[in-house]
Amino acid sequence: MRINDAVIGALLIAFAAVMIHHTGTFPSFPGQKYGPALFPTLIGLGFIGTGGILIWRGVRERAGTPWIEFAPWTREAHRLGGFVLVLASIIAYILAAESIGFLAACFVILFVLMTWLGEVAWRAGLIAVAMTLLIDWFFGDLMRVPLPRGLLNLLSA
Amino acid sequence: MEHIVAAFGLVLDPYVLLVIVLSALFGIFVGAIPGLTATMATALLVPVTFFMPPVPALAAIVTATAMAIFAGDIPGALLRIPGTPASAAYTDESFAMTKKGQAELNLGVNLVFSAAGGFVGTIVLITAAPLLAEIAINFSSFEYFWLACLGLTCAVFIATDAPLKGIVSLLIGLMIAAIGIDVTAGHPRFTFGSIELMAGVSFIPAMIGMFAVSEVLRGVVAGDPHARMVQERIGNVFKGLGAVAVRYWKNFIRGSAIGVFIGALPGAGADIAAWISYAVSKRFSKEPEKFGTGHIEGVVDATSANNSGLSAAWIPALVFGIPGDSITAIVIGVLYMKGMNPGPTVFLQNPQLIYAVFIAFFIANLIMVPLGWGAIKLAKYILNVPRRVLMPIILMFCIVGSFAITNSPYGVIVMLIMGVLGWLMEENGFPIAPTILGLVLGELLEQNFMTSMIKSDGVLIAFFYRPIAATLGVVTLVVWALMLWRGVQFAMRPVRAAA
Repeated sequence: MRINDAVIGALLIAFAAVMIHHTGTFPSFPGQKYGPALFPTLIGLGFIGTGGILIWRGVRERAGTPWIEFAPWTREAHRLGGFVLVLASIIAYILAAESIGFLAACFVILFVLMTWLGEVAWRAGLIAVAMTLLIDWFFGDLMRVPLPRGLLNLLSA
Repeated sequence: MEHIVAAFGLVLDPYVLLVIVLSALFGIFVGAIPGLTATMATALLVPVTFFMPPVPALAAIVTATAMAIFAGDIPGALLRIPGTPASAAYTDESFAMTKKGQAELNLGVNLVFSAAGGFVGTIVLITAAPLLAEIAINFSSFEYFWLACLGLTCAVFIATDAPLKGIVSLLIGLMIAAIGIDVTAGHPRFTFGSIELMAGVSFIPAMIGMFAVSEVLRGVVAGDPHARMVQERIGNVFKGLGAVAVRYWKNFIRGSAIGVFIGALPGAGADIAAWISYAVSKRFSKEPEKFGTGHIEGVVDATSANNSGLSAAWIPALVFGIPGDSITAIVIGVLYMKGMNPGPTVFLQNPQLIYAVFIAFFIANLIMVPLGWGAIKLAKYILNVPRRVLMPIILMFCIVGSFAITNSPYGVIVMLIMGVLGWLMEENGFPIAPTILGLVLGELLEQNFMTSMIKSDGVLIAFFYRPIAATLGVVTLVVWALMLWRGVQFAMRPVRAAA
């Protein structure tokens, strides 16, 4: 997704304005002229300066190109699907891992993504099972990361 | 002396040696797969090192990155696709050699001169770092402020071909670093009531997102590369190396020296070292016309330079806490996690740990030759691992790695946001390394800036009172002025030329 520099510049300036406005709520040091607001304000001013130049450059070099241009792969359903699936997998893990558990979440994500990207189902299934067990052993047992148990809790209960 | 003995004891522990060998294999694999970089190897390794004591943790990173930088040469020579950006400078040259039937010589030179360049970088690191640390021990907030500014300036202006977008990228990093409890007054900034954001944006998930998830997003869209290996069976890679060493020893020294210099500059790493040393090699060659046709000369320079640069990047990281490249930016994060706050005092407080890192560098470059030889022999199999299998597995490691740092979905959320941000930035020509440098250096920069402002009561000229601070300050301002001037000249050019 190619966004014209001018659009990015405008977004940066808008973001900086909100940020600088928000720093107004920060308290200042007793007896000092400088407080927690100084550094973020300077960063905000930096965004405004660079954003201004980006707008100027973007408008100057635009020459009829669209403000936002999508890459050719976004028109291919399969590739776009792969991209969306990666993001959906992460979101699904955030939302569902706690309730269904790491083992199920990891297997489903690996299997679905591999088959979508073109791996044959039986091999994708085998690799997904092997990798799920490996990651669970490595992080869960060896590194003692409390991976969510989810459905396993029901079984042990 | 007793510190060196203690350091040997720390490194020659069977557990540490096992970690080194496993990290070496991991580094070779990641480096050899096109699209997976040495920085990504570090990003994926850090969640694992999080649970290790400092010495194996740092040894793992040292070894994996050294191996990855070498292994990136393998697909460069066999597929014409650089395994890591550090090999991009001489990929065409290497592939041309392969087409001429000289794949063995090319890979042999890459292997042996990478290891030798790594040794040179390590020797300079061992010599220079303690000397600089003695000077740096007298630094105050003014010197550190200018040093951080100079480091970030280098990151923006040397390491990127789009300085304006580099500045924006850096500001984004500094902005993210400002989230959380403020360093001087203890006021929570931009946390919006979130307890987890009070401690700031979790660095490791952020870095996994920017360097690994963004790469996975690109990988699934790109699909498997269609390049085919022109030569699958690799013969004796050590044949003919003696003649190359005799003929091009000066190139090796020059390449290693350039690598050390560029690597030690804050913000510029192995890839830039390779590009510059390759260009210098061509410029001063007696046979410049042969460059690009499958000529080994430039490869000697550049392959030595990227590995020596990798070691030298640790000099500013260990001595000043200013990263030399994006890998050492991650290392600084790891050092803080391990309670080894980088800076000159670490040489006084934990000298055995520093010496252990140096020894790890030597071991890494030593085992690079046999393991690298094995990787070259097995290249056919390594390069055939399909992306459709690899990308989902990497994604899962990213998710679990980020989860492991915070033990909650918070890490995964940070990873997701930073991954999308990193992808969007790269799509639009914004380099992501300055964001990571800004994120790492933000606190140091602000703390030293605020301390200096309070000490001087807002009198800016006080930033130039001390001699070293004044020198660093003037150098930084001169670089800024030069860049501003170049920027104005660039802006004044007609639109067609500017585009």
